[in-house]
Amino acid sequence: MKEINQKKMYNFLSSKNVKNFVGVPDSTLKYFIAEGLKKKKILIATREEEAIGIAAGMSLSNSRSLVFMQNAGFANSLSTITSLVQLYKIPMIFLIGWRGYLPSDAPEHIKIGKVQPILLKTIGLPSRIVKDKNWKESCLWALKSSQTSSCALIVRRMSHE
Amino acid sequence: MNRSESMKIITEHLGNEIIVSANGFISRDLFSIKEKPSNFYMIGSMGLSSSIGLGIALKNPRKKIYVFDGDGNILMNFGSLVTIGSIKPKNLIHIIFDNSSHESTGGQPTSTNTIQIEKVAKVLNYKIFKTNNKKRLIKIIHDTKNLLGPIMILVKITKSKQIGKRIDFTPIEIKKRFMESM
Repeated sequence: MKEINQKKMYNFLSSKNVKNFVGVPDSTLKYFIAEGLKKKKILIATREEEAIGIAAGMSLSNSRSLVFMQNAGFANSLSTITSLVQLYKIPMIFLIGWRGYLPSDAPEHIKIGKVQPILLKTIGLPSRIVKDKNWKESCLWALKSSQTSSCALIVRRMSHE
Repeated sequence: MNRSESMKIITEHLGNEIIVSANGFISRDLFSIKEKPSNFYMIGSMGLSSSIGLGIALKNPRKKIYVFDGDGNILMNFGSLVTIGSIKPKNLIHIIFDNSSHESTGGQPTSTNTIQIEKVAKVLNYKIFKTNNKKRLIKIIHDTKNLLGPIMILVKITKSKQIGKRIDFTPIEIKKRFMESM
């Protein structure tokens, strides 16, 4: 996703009352995170499960939260998502960078990248793929879907150095 | 002093403060000893009570937030101490009931009998209190009420066969009551 649209996406979600951006950095999402860092609104955790825990505490305090991570971290977090976020129905938006979308990506991303859509489907986490063309409507969908429960926005990695 | 004895002492000397309690026997004990809507009982997601407590503390700076954690629990999310120590929430009191074992799963050992987690926490900007004594515990609870956090109270406890009753609220009820109480 282009730099300009990642930044617009951050500012749009922020303007729609998403107050907390907690996560573990991912290069696919670096412009989104950079925009939040510039505004001093990013909290970086040591692991994805920890980030989800912190965001859950914020959501329980009636403050809207987004958790960003790479899909490798999403795989780390399956148990936390099912036994905390989904079990208690805690409102939350996940923003997940999808490495291994391209079969030519680095080897460590291939296997987990391949099963990413299956993992989302298996745990029943509603998701949308965000693209340069549809970022605003994807965000509007996520804002609506996360009013009473959780959902995910997925950003595909379309190139790699 | 075992887990439920020390928890009784602590909750007797607290009012209606927010408590996030770790999964397993810790939440069950709290439910049996001092049930109230401002308790967030965790079921599952082991390790995350201090992270949930941190999120609540950051959003409610005027309220004291207590975390009831276990040694096995914090060891699963040790990075949480780094995040809490770097943010330094003034209103977070992190109580660890330390019996050097995973009591909820059958009493398997943890490494807190050889590793002193309070020493690590001290380097990470926590104010540290440690005791295995009832009178001293009461004093610590009172002394820390007006002290700026993050505070760690390590309560060294003995193992026990006493188990609190199962929480009979659904997770969604726990959440609803908790949110309404704030």
